[in-house]
Amino acid sequence: MSLFSSLLGVAALVGFFSIILFVVFGQVTVRKLRKNPETKNELGIEFVSGWDILNVAGALAMPRWINRKLRDSPLSALYANADILYKYTNTFDRILAKVFYGAWVLSVVSMLVLMLLDSLSFFD
Amino acid sequence: MSEILLCNQSLAADSLQDIYSISGNDVVGVGCMKPTVFEAYTPYAVSQNPSSIDQSVLNQLKPRSVSQELTNLSLSFGGDNVVALADVTSKLQEYNIGLMGASTSVYANRIGGFAGAVKDYQAALMEFRQAIKTNPAVKNVAKQKAYAAFQKMQRNFQLELQAVTAHSKARKGTPLTSATRATNIARSSRNVTKLNVRNHIQASNLVKLSKHAKFLGNGLAVIDFGSRVGNIHNSYKAGENWEREMFVESSSFALSVSAGALAIKAGGAALTFLMVATPVGWVGLIIGGVAVAGVAATTSIIVNSGIKNNSGSWYDAIMEWIQS
Repeated sequence: MSLFSSLLGVAALVGFFSIILFVVFGQVTVRKLRKNPETKNELGIEFVSGWDILNVAGALAMPRWINRKLRDSPLSALYANADILYKYTNTFDRILAKVFYGAWVLSVVSMLVLMLLDSLSFFD
Repeated sequence: MSEILLCNQSLAADSLQDIYSISGNDVVGVGCMKPTVFEAYTPYAVSQNPSSIDQSVLNQLKPRSVSQELTNLSLSFGGDNVVALADVTSKLQEYNIGLMGASTSVYANRIGGFAGAVKDYQAALMEFRQAIKTNPAVKNVAKQKAYAAFQKMQRNFQLELQAVTAHSKARKGTPLTSATRATNIARSSRNVTKLNVRNHIQASNLVKLSKHAKFLGNGLAVIDFGSRVGNIHNSYKAGENWEREMFVESSSFALSVSAGALAIKAGGAALTFLMVATPVGWVGLIIGGVAVAGVAATTSIIVNSGIKNNSGSWYDAIMEWIQS
């Protein structure tokens, strides 16, 4: 197995881990928020079922000033409302959101960077 | 052009003449018979000399599951819109087969979302209709709900709605362009709806639409997944290592979906900040949306091929490690 292949394997492993966390986060946190009448319309647009899980994770994982900026924009309907979500989530939910979102972004970005380096024949 | 008549309760032929000024003699049912009573949820053609096209259209719409769904859809959306929607739906399905490789394209997602929003709106209208009949106390709440669902649909899917309603000529507006019109239709006691069916193809599109109306929400990833299952099956039939093939296909599917989703998120955020920072209008947003769709599709294709080329060797390494 080449160096590129093993590095990509590590990134993919993180990716699989994040997909498992996606399901866990969806079941633990987002299910609770979907049932709550206060929050169920604040989860952002749902392109396909499960997309609101990404919206909620993004709202809880990213710094609040970014979320406020996004919510104030004309495209606010795309995003979950972080201010309300903070009221109805506990510390565990937020940590889970941060770990999931972090693992997801990290794995995809590193896969793309590795593939870019490979296409520039960095690993030859 | 065939004109189809549907009603949601049985109706005597002469009352049709009184209320809608359509002569009972001009209406034929399946098998060219002239009905005296119009059965609920049964299609009839409005024509003095029914052609073979009329007959085949009637036959396609005849199954109860099809005609009932279609009657309800036309009552809440208006016949014109149902025909237009069916047209759009079938075009999108053709388009999506071309997008098979890109397992999460923004566009597939948007269509899912659009169908979802239309479905919500329809459900709210139906609820309003029900509330008028059975429980007038909650009428206003139901009406507000319908308006809210309409606004959500309008806000998020302006472009699709324009495409759908572009060739509708209704002067008063249609349920898809005006919530007032929609709630008025829902409130009025109309129970006969007329559909203009241009030709055969549209009749079968209508069948498709009423079959899919219930579960339009998801389903597009299924096409992509189907082709992958086909690959695994081929490798099994050829006597190759199909478990290895399954590992390759499933890991590349999962990771390319994940990468495509991130590209959509990142593109969406970039677009949002662009809208806040610059005076870019809706035209810019549409161009930007197309760009994001392209980037997301490209990202998931790239990740898909990258993972496909390498995950075989991961499988080998894992097997070696387990066996040693």
